[in-house]
Order: sequence, then structure tokens, then C-alpha cells
Amino acid sequence: MRQKILLLWLCAVLAPTLSWAQALTVRGVVRDGASGDGLPGVTVLVKGTTTGTSSQADGSYSITVPSPDAMLTFSFIGYQSWETPVNGKTTIDGNLKVDSKSLEEVVVVGYGSVAKSDLTGSVGTLKGSELNKTPASSVDQLLQGKVAGVQVIVPSGEPGAGATIRIRGSSSINGSNSPLLVVDGFPWGDAGNLKQINPDDIASIEVLKDASSAAIYGSRGANGVILVTTKKGKAGKTSITLSTLNTISTLPSKLDVWSDPVDVAIIDNEARGNAGLPLLYTGQTYLGTYYPSVAELKGTDPSKPKWPYRTYWPDLVYRNAFSQTHTLTANGGNERTKFSVSGNYYREEGLNIGNVYNRYNGRLNLDQKLFDNLSAGVNLIMTHTQRVGGGLSADRNPVFPVYNPDGTYFQIGPRDFGNPIAYQKEVTNTSKGFDVLGTLYVSWDLTKWLNFRTQISDKFGNAVDDNYQPRNITNTGYLYNGFGTINNYNGNEILNENYFTFNKSVGIHSFNAVAGYTTQTFNSRTSYLEGRGFINDVLANQNLGTAKTQYTTNGLSKSLLNSYIGRLNYSLLERYLFTFTGRADGSSKFGANNKWAFFPSAAVAWKLQEEAFMKDIPTISEAKVRLSYGLTGNQGISPYQTLDRLGSARYYTGGDFQTGFGPGTFGYDGYNKIWEGVPNPDLKWETTSQLDAGLDLGFLDQRFTASVDVYYKRTRDLLRQTYITPSSGYDRVWVNDGVIENKGIELGMSAEVLRTPVVQWTVGGNLTVNRNKLISMGTDQFVWNGANIEMLRAPLNAYIVGQPINVFYGYKTNGVIQSTAEGAATGLTGDMAKPGELKYVDLNGDGKVDDNDRTIIGNPNPKFLYSFNTTLRAKGFDLSAQLYGVQGNDVFDFRKFSPSRQLQRWTPDNPTNDFPSVNSNRAYYGSDWFVTDGSFLRVQNLTLGYNFKSNLIKHVETLRIYFSGNNLYTFTKFHKGFDPEVPANGQQYGSYPRPRAFSLGLNIGI
Amino acid sequence: MKLLQQLGLAGALLLSAGCSLQEDPYGFVSQGNFYKTEADANAALIYAYAILPEIEYYSRGFITVTELPTENITLKPDAGAGNFEFDKLAVRADNVDLTTTWRYAYIGVNRANAVIANVPGISNMSETNRNQLVGEAYFLRALHYFNIVRLFGSAPLRTAPVTSLGQTDAAKASIQDIYNLITSDLKQSIALTDLTRRDGRANRVAAWGLLAKVDATLASAKLTGTPGYDFVTDAASLYAEAKTMANSALTATGYGLDANLKDIFDVTKKAGPEHIFDVTVDRTGLSEGNYSKLPLMFIPYIDGATFTLSDGTSVKSGYNHFLTEGALYNSFDPADKRKIDLIPNTVKVGTATRTLGITDYSRPFTRKYLDPQQVGEQTSANTPVLRYSDVLLLYAEACGPTADGYTAINRIRSRAGIAPLTPGLSATAFRDAVIQERSWELCFEANRLFDLRRTHKMEEILVRQYGKTITGDAYYFPIPTREVDLNALL
Repeated sequence: MRQKILLLWLCAVLAPTLSWAQALTVRGVVRDGASGDGLPGVTVLVKGTTTGTSSQADGSYSITVPSPDAMLTFSFIGYQSWETPVNGKTTIDGNLKVDSKSLEEVVVVGYGSVAKSDLTGSVGTLKGSELNKTPASSVDQLLQGKVAGVQVIVPSGEPGAGATIRIRGSSSINGSNSPLLVVDGFPWGDAGNLKQINPDDIASIEVLKDASSAAIYGSRGANGVILVTTKKGKAGKTSITLSTLNTISTLPSKLDVWSDPVDVAIIDNEARGNAGLPLLYTGQTYLGTYYPSVAELKGTDPSKPKWPYRTYWPDLVYRNAFSQTHTLTANGGNERTKFSVSGNYYREEGLNIGNVYNRYNGRLNLDQKLFDNLSAGVNLIMTHTQRVGGGLSADRNPVFPVYNPDGTYFQIGPRDFGNPIAYQKEVTNTSKGFDVLGTLYVSWDLTKWLNFRTQISDKFGNAVDDNYQPRNITNTGYLYNGFGTINNYNGNEILNENYFTFNKSVGIHSFNAVAGYTTQTFNSRTSYLEGRGFINDVLANQNLGTAKTQYTTNGLSKSLLNSYIGRLNYSLLERYLFTFTGRADGSSKFGANNKWAFFPSAAVAWKLQEEAFMKDIPTISEAKVRLSYGLTGNQGISPYQTLDRLGSARYYTGGDFQTGFGPGTFGYDGYNKIWEGVPNPDLKWETTSQLDAGLDLGFLDQRFTASVDVYYKRTRDLLRQTYITPSSGYDRVWVNDGVIENKGIELGMSAEVLRTPVVQWTVGGNLTVNRNKLISMGTDQFVWNGANIEMLRAPLNAYIVGQPINVFYGYKTNGVIQSTAEGAATGLTGDMAKPGELKYVDLNGDGKVDDNDRTIIGNPNPKFLYSFNTTLRAKGFDLSAQLYGVQGNDVFDFRKFSPSRQLQRWTPDNPTNDFPSVNSNRAYYGSDWFVTDGSFLRVQNLTLGYNFKSNLIKHVETLRIYFSGNNLYTFTKFHKGFDPEVPANGQQYGSYPRPRAFSLGLNIGI
Repeated sequence: MKLLQQLGLAGALLLSAGCSLQEDPYGFVSQGNFYKTEADANAALIYAYAILPEIEYYSRGFITVTELPTENITLKPDAGAGNFEFDKLAVRADNVDLTTTWRYAYIGVNRANAVIANVPGISNMSETNRNQLVGEAYFLRALHYFNIVRLFGSAPLRTAPVTSLGQTDAAKASIQDIYNLITSDLKQSIALTDLTRRDGRANRVAAWGLLAKVDATLASAKLTGTPGYDFVTDAASLYAEAKTMANSALTATGYGLDANLKDIFDVTKKAGPEHIFDVTVDRTGLSEGNYSKLPLMFIPYIDGATFTLSDGTSVKSGYNHFLTEGALYNSFDPADKRKIDLIPNTVKVGTATRTLGITDYSRPFTRKYLDPQQVGEQTSANTPVLRYSDVLLLYAEACGPTADGYTAINRIRSRAGIAPLTPGLSATAFRDAVIQERSWELCFEANRLFDLRRTHKMEEILVRQYGKTITGDAYYFPIPTREVDLNALL
């Protein structure tokens, strides 16, 4: 219709006469200003003339203008039109901005979608194209810094390692704290480990943060929900795109390890001397190993040649790794059939030698109209993954070589199995996985306003881990004369969903409703095969039947979740919006007395910009206030926890092992056996109530936008494993007791600072502030989180009522003891009171330092998270950057006394208060000496790209080449040589380094 | 109309799904489907025994808490602080090893209670076997409570298995009540069990022997004024009963003193005459508790290498964790075979002979826990609970300085290659001599602490003789903090 009007208009204003022509052909690409995707069908007109054309499928156009000073106008439905002078240029690329008043971005929410402006809840959105371009074996780690309120911790740079994801803090102690991940409508499970999806396949990611948006996922919604939607086909010309990314990764900084053999010998002698042990580096053979003297190492001993070895292990253990990913995608279709199909090969090399992660992935989304009111379709994702090897330590003594002269591995003493080269070359350590997610659906428009959809999905997963430890390479291999295992996992989930969608407007009222029933079964089977004692190491774990001792365990876990879902969106006068959501969940995992739960929520939003009084302020393009309240749940426990369970054990009698059954089954708490099995038929889900208030603002046609949310979350009936009276014969039981609260503020902003035809510059950022507090834990005031840490002979993290979760609990220190008199005055005794030892503080002043002097010594929860991003586009080039920061978290640095710091140790001549003396037998307490500020700001990503003109190469509609650098620099005061991004519990042991990655990418579309 | 039909069809689809939320167990049995058959009854008793060789109980933890406080062993310097609290006789209520010992004794009680409560109701099995199983469970319950009362004194007394959360708390019972249950359980066990020897299991001989020990404990504690034993009225009659019980055990067919000391602890001779009740393990087991690593705690670490003893026995380097104390080592008569043969101090590493000094980092070590056929770190070394020589010395103690008493103790001394005991000792001196003999004969076997406590000698021996310091109650460890905090009825 509009086109016809345009045509009429063109005819009417037919240009009078053209002055002398100096015709010029202008080419370029018109893109969506937000996504950067080419826009087809854009009308390009020479202003004041009838000369016009439309852009191609990829957004490219070509137009002949009569003179170099003509004006071009670009217009497209749903976008703001744009005028630009030609000024003699032959290339003019344009970015069209969405016209916020006429077209609304559609946001996927659970069981449906809604226009972004009609959202009543708090939902974070991200386009697939906004994900950083870097190797990432699990997609969810790319969410880091992208969405306000979402904390992503990636503590390891190991290929295939997952991430820890928290939305609005942690709200559970023993249950899961991970958001629910939903892939194309299928509730996949805990977020943080989504390896089966290719980032190039993702159309959008939505994060449901408040109760109103997450309540549709009921008993799985308390930690928030992340919806991942893959690309769907569109009617039109078939487009084929190839995306490739080739990456070189390096160590981000020099490691703090020993490099000079002389240092090692001096420090080791001093440490053993301080411990009263005989010195090693004296030119003697001890435990079968020759330890050169310091003089011999320095080359100053006239009777000995200079020591020949100086092994710098990082050079042997680390490498510059090369990774690549290639995706081929075809999208297209017609009015009746739409398809999107893609294939991906991904290979990520780890920084450690021999460590590789491979993925092969295929995806098909097909939608077919069977009749005008009935369509059916299939979504299929298949992924094969494979990991070889893992992390290796470079913390090895440089005094000694890798190999003996005969080619065998050098061992420092008879029971040394720490040679990383031997480990990498001889130990079998691989895992393979195969996953399929398939969905078949039928969608039936019963009337114009009522749709029924039914679908059945199956998620199948299979994983096999292979491990073999040869006899002379690892301690386990040595103890058992070869030790091999095979670990099998098989999981299958079937989901059936059936729901009606109702959509109708009556006058000033409009309704959108969803109601339905879903049922999901969860099955997993595991088997573990172990063989100990082999004739030789030739077969590794290929034939465990040849082992002297064989051991098998297997398990099955089944559960069922039945649910009724419902949601009503009601809009009055297009400005007062109401949402009511509810889900009733029945889970087999819960106690017989508490199988069903109902999770309701309600939200209201007011679009002020639609009010007459606001329309007078044209600079304000959006002003929406939102308020929501509701309940969500957490059922993150394993099946069978509520039943009475008898355990089994074996006892050697009658010349053989006999199997017994009786009360009590065990689990491990770290390395301690913990006995369980008392039934608790009252066990139920955790319930989180959440209040959210939000404000969305937009100015100058959404050129500047801001969104702020304030929330308060209170989680009650915490699923907790609590100790019970030990003389009952049981240690622990699952109960519901305790309350945690999280409150916080989220802020997201974006601004198009420059919006000219030639240059566009956008700046954005977000801020996440969350405060977590444990309100109660039944009758407990203090519970350790985790088992004893061997180095500290105590646990470290604690749950303490009135405090954030996971605070560090231990001793205070006050420098280093400088003199015997000072040591005696501290209340310490024995070796711990000697000069050079850490000066632990007698906090309660009772004259002795003991457990009663412990207190809270640190908090691993950050004060806030923030990120900035910016993009500059000009003349086909684009430059973008992302910075990510974490502020105010404490890290417990187990590697604090690293080699470079041992060189700064306390000695009588160097009476420092920073580091103690070196001592081989020192027993450390968990103390604030280890606690270090973990704040950092990282240059997460820097991308420079260039988009070539369309059809520069025949048939090539789009061609983009770009360079992407990731983890380029980290501003931090944390321990040099170590990464400050550590697991949520704040414990830093020196994990697999996060690579600095330099990628070259190419996208070709035809 | 058409719309209604369509709605109906869709609705039917919607409701067709849905299964029961009832959870069916898989891979484990529960109360409801167990204790039905004779095989179930046998398995229930096996489970009760299986707690004993766990690392937390007789394969390590129990030795840690009972031997470290005495003059028998100390620790390598970098052992954990929790262990050192025992070595230094300053055990705190939140000590992990202490809590573990408490837990495991009560887990044992609960398992024995499950047999006692459920097996008598299984009718489709032979009465003889049923009696035997229940009788052994009574023995086990008595053993656990005997450990509890000797370690902690007054403590909760549970005589039925805990099956629901409402039953987890229990009030403390007096020391007297606990001993009453122990005595009555052992008498039940004597009545129900037979005389057949089964490796790793108790029979009537074990019940006799244990009752003799219980009686001797009560009698000696009363006579010496050990705190907590005022309730005992008649020490003499308890010694008399101890004598009878010990005599029954000593004269049972198949039991006797092994002429060769080393054979008692030879893992290939576990059926030797001296073994009345052992906690059994085997190196072919799959997890610790099925096999034992206890020997490695005592065996020195010498160059990480395999070394040989003077008789050619080959020994792999151990953990060097428990170190023999000079106080015990130097107390032996130089001719005592229990020192010469059972605490070797000369080893051969390669071709070089090394002498281990009693103050060295690697010291002379006991070979009571030794398995030369050790696979990896897995050994078949059983932990003895009741040996013939233990019962024989209890008999001597019960007899006092009589001819029978002298004969009994001198059988032990003669086997050890030392002179007979000085004749004509007073009753007190004779019994002191028996306790001293027990220290040499039964060192490292979790007896010394209890002997010192029941004879009121903790201060006399450990403080005055060996110069140790005792912090807190010398006769009872504190009830673990976790129990005190969680048990509302305590």
C-alpha cells in the first residue's frame, strides 16, 4: 500500500528538467543499525527525482545519480529514513535505525514472545551477533559482561571448561544456584556448560530475571532463566553464509615459577634448615638423586663442571595454541516452507601441550505449512564433542632435566610422579560426548485468535571418559601396576508440551494468554568400569577385563516433572499493561507430603510516553515504569533424597567378601564419608519471592536509552543438608530451613553518541550491584561450606547468619614475628612463635592463639560488576571494544608465597613484614595473610572489522573480515602472574590460564 | 461447533499425558523390601560387621585415638593438628578424629540394633542361624558401647534402630546403665551363639573373652578409684566372674598361645590359635575398609624404597606417620622377643644395612601390622580386637597373685623369652605387674589407654613417669561438640 502511495507521489513530483548531467554510480550496503545485518528491500531515491532502486537481499544497492552533489534518501518500513549528500562519493554505506514508534523488537519469553515495549517483567536481551568472537567451548561464558544482573565466572581457560552463572546473586546453600537454561523452548538444565550449541547459530539470548518473567518456569525459575533461540529460516532468497575464525592463543602473562636453579637450591636449603631438616643441595646423593651444591650450580666450584641443567618448564608445558571454527549456514524458504540449516567444526587447542577440544555440530530448523491453519516443524541439534588431555603444572624444579640420559623420565626421588611431560605423553585422558536435541511440533490456528501447539522433544546425551595411568608415570599407576577406567553416562529426557495461545483485542482492551500442560521425564544411567593391575601398559584401558582386579558400579536416576502453565497479558489503552503468570509443578523428587507446588506472579507496567501529557515532550521516546512480584522455586536436588535408603557394604569373612545391607548410605563431603539415609517425607522445593521495580527510559527516538531495575529477593525453605545428632548413627539429612536474601540494582545504558551517515559511534554499559545475606539456617549460626583444605587443616568458606554466603573464616595476622620476645608476646607457642613466622593475632586476648581467635577475614562476593562497550563505524570499517570489571571481591590466594615472593622472604637481614621466612615444615592457618583484593578491569574484547562492497567478487553479497583480540589486558593489583578471576568461593590455586587470544575472522555470504 | 470439536480434541491431547509422581527406588533397597529372608538376615549382620574395618574405625581412627595418648607412639612432625591433640593429651571437643570415633561407634550401634530389631521377626529361616546372627549382633552392640563408655563415659544409650527424624535425639545414660546393657548383651550373646570359629566374626568364645574384659574393667576401676566407677558395688565378684569367663574362653577347643610371636601377626596365618576376634580385611578389596592401610601408618619411609627386615621379609616404604616412642621401646627387657622380633630396628636398603634409632625420623616400628604381599597400598593386615594372650592376662589379673595367676602371666613371659615374674607379690603389685605385662604384650593394639584409665594410672604413668602433660579430663574424652550442639536431649 505504502509502495503504491510512494509511486503516486513519485509520479506527481516528476522532476522538471535535469541540469547537465555528470552521472555517477553510487554503491553501498544498507544495514540494520543495531545488528549490522544487511537490509533487503530498502528504497533508495535520489532526492527530488524519480530515480530510485531497492537494496538486494544482503542490503547492497547500486544507483546512478545525476550529479555528485545530489542527495540520497533511504527509507524502509519500520526504520527511520535517512538522507545523505553524495558529495562525489561512489560508495555510501548506510545504517538504518529502527523506528521505535512503528516497529517493536520481539522478545522471546517462556512459551511465547512479546514486543519489547510491552514487557512488564525484567528481561535482558542479547542478539547472537553481539557475542564476542573468540573460541568458547561453552556458549554461556560469552554472556560475561553483556547483561546487567548476570554474573558469569570463567575461572579456567581450559578448553571445554564451563562457567559459573548467577542471576541476581546466590539464593541456595546446597541446592543449585545456576539459572535454568532453555534452548529453543526445551528446558536444558543448569546454565554454565552449554557446549552443544554453536554460537554462530544463536539468533538471540533472553535472560528472565524477575519473578514475573521467570514464574512460567515455576520450580526451576528461582535462579532466573536464560533462553537461547537458534536461527530460523525466512521466506525469500536462499542465503548461504560461511563464517570462519582462526585464533592464536598465548599465555596472558609470565608465570611466577622457578627459573633459576641457584634460587631453588638456596631457598630449599634455607627452608629445610629452618625446619631442622638436613640440607639437600650440598653435592650429595639422597634418595637416589644427586643434589648439586649451590656453588656447583653457580659454576663457582672449581672441582665440578657447571651444572648442565636449567629446565624452564613453562616453555615445555605451554605453547601458542591454534584454534579454529568454521560454520556453514543456509537460510531461506517460501511462504509455506522455511528452513535454517548449519554445520560447524570447532577445534580449540589448549595452552597446555596435548590438550585439544573438538566439536562437530549440525542443526536444522524446518517449518512447513501443511494447511493454511496448520503447520508442523522440526528442530534438531546434534553435537559431537571430544576432549583430549588437560591441565599440566609448570611448577617443577628447574634443577633437574626432563629425561634421563637413557630416555626415561627423570624422577626426583623414587616416588616422584610430578613430571608433566611424562604425564602428558603417557597418560590416557580423553572424553567424548554425543548430544541430540530434537523437537517435533504441530501448531494449529483454531481461529484467528486461538492457537494450539503441541510438541514432543527428546534430549539425548551420551558421554564416555577414558583414563589410563601407566605404572611408572603416576602415583596411582604405580600403586596398582597400571590403573584404567571407563566412565559411561547416558541421559535421556522426554518433554511433551501442549498449550493454547489466545490473542485478541476488543476496543481498548487487548489480551494475550497462554495455558497448557507439560510433562518431562529425566532418566540417566551411569556405569563406571575400573581395572587395577595390568601385565603391561600396552593396551592402556582398552581391555579392562585383563586387569587383575576389576571393579564396576552403575546407577540410574529417574524423575518426573508434571506442570500446568498459564499466563495472561492484558493491555488497556496500549499503555497500562498487566501480566499474571502461574505454574503448578509436581515433582517426583520431593517428599510424599509435598509433591505439588504453585508459583504465581503478577506484574504491572505503565507506558507513560503514551499519555497525552508526555506526548508534549517529544525528546522522551520511552518512559515505562514496571513493578512485579511473584514466587519462583528451586528443586535442585537429586532424586531419592526423601526416601529411606539402606546402604550396602562388603566384609571379608568365610574366605571371601560378603555383601551386607543395612541402615545408612554414604556420600563424601570432600574426603570424609558422610552417612545419610533417614527419610524426610516433608522435603520440598525452595521458594523465592521477588519484588522488582524498573524504569525504562528512551530519548530522541531511542538514541539514548537507560534501564534501571531495583529488586529484593527472599528465598525461604532453603534446601539444606544439615548435620543431625551423630549418635543417631546418621550424619546428615536434607531439610528445608533457612532464609537468604539478595537485593540489588541493575543499570543498563546505551547512547548513539554520533549518528551521522559517515560515522556512527555508540557507547553502552551496564552495572550490577547485588548484596547477599544469609538470614537464617534453622538452628545453625555457622556452617562450613566444604571439607577440610589440606594445607590449612580446616575448611575456609563459611555460611554465617547475618553475613554474605561463602565468607572466609580464619585468623588475623599482623605481619611477621621479628624477634623471639615478640613471638613470645603473641600467644603463639613452639615453632609458630619463632622469628620469621606469621604473627597470628590473639583476637580475644586470652593469651593464646587458638580456634577461638578466628573471625571473618574476607568476602569473595564482589561489591559490583560493570562493563563498557563501544562501537565506531565508518566507511565500511567498524571498531568495537568491550571492558569487563569486577570490584571489591576478596580472593584467598593459596599461591601467595610464589617463587618470586619466596625470594623476598623474611630473614634476620631482611626483617620484612610482608612475607615469612621459608620453612619446609610450616603449618599454615587460614589467615588474612592470604586474602588479596581480587578487583580487576579487563580489556575483554577489541574487534576491528571491514565490510567489503557487495558483489566485489561475483555472487558474493557480503564479505566481512575482522580481527578480534580477547583478554588483551587486565588492570588489577592482584598477584602478578595469576588471574584474578577465580571460582565463586574465592579460592585461587592457580588454575588453567585464561588465554590471550588473537583471532582473524571471515564471513562470506552469497 | 467445529471450534468446540477442535477444542475438545486439543484438550484430550493435553490431558493424555501425565504419570504418577510416586518415586520408585532404583539401585538401593529400603526398609519396606528388606529383612524378609534368611539371606537378608545374613546380609544385615554382614553390614553390622562392615563398619568395623572402615578407615575411621579399626583400620585407623580407633588406633589413632587410643594409641597416640599413651607412651606407645608419637607422630611425625608434620602430622595434622587434630592428631597432635591426642599425642599431647589435650583433646578438644571439636576434634575431628574424636568426632569420627564417636560417630562410627554409634553407626555400629545402629547397624547392630537393626539386626536385633528386625532379624528375630524373620520366621522363614532356621532358628539356629537366627540365634547365631542375633547373638553376634548383641556382641557387636556390646563392643561399640564398651568403646563408647571407655572413651567418653556417660553417653546416649540407644537400643532400637533410628528410622525417622523424630528419633535422632536421645538423652545421656549413666555409665552404670551403659555397663548394664553391655553385660546383658554379652550374656545374651553367650546364650545365643555357638563355638564355631568364623574368620572376622564373633562366637561364644569372643563373648566370653569380652565379658571377662568388661568385668575386669569394672573391678579394677572400682579397686583403684578410677573416676566414674563408684557405682560398682562388688569388685571381688566381678573379678570372679571375669576369671570364669576368661577360663571358659581359654579352655575352648582350638584356641591357645601361638609358640611363635611372629606367626600371630603373619597375614598368611590368620586362623592361628591366638585369634579370638579380629576385624578382617583383605588386600583384594576394592576400597579402603575392605583392605587396610593401617600398616603404612607405622612403616617408616626409607628412600621411598622397598627394604628388607633381618628375616628377609620385604617391606615397602610407608607413611612414617606413627612413630614408636622411646618410653615404650626402652621399657622392654633387652631380651624381650616382643621388642627384638616384633619391633625391628635393622633394615637392609639395597645392600646397605641401616639401624633405625628410637629418636630418628624413621624409627624401629611394629610388625604387628605388616603385609609383605601388600598390593599397592592395600594390605590384608587385620586389626586384632581380642587375642588369646589378652584374655590370658585378664585371667591372671582376675586370679590375682595365686598359683593360677602366676602360671598365666609366666606363660606370656616365657614365650617372650624373659624371666618369670617375681614370686610373692601383693595383690596390688601383682596386678600392676599384669598391667605392665599387658603394655608389652598388647602395645599398638588399642589396649594401653584403657588399661591406664581403668587402673587410675593416667597421671602416675604418663605424667609422673613419662613427663607428659594432660589437659582436660584424663579419664574421659569430651563428648564431641557436634553431638552437644545438635542433641536437644543431651
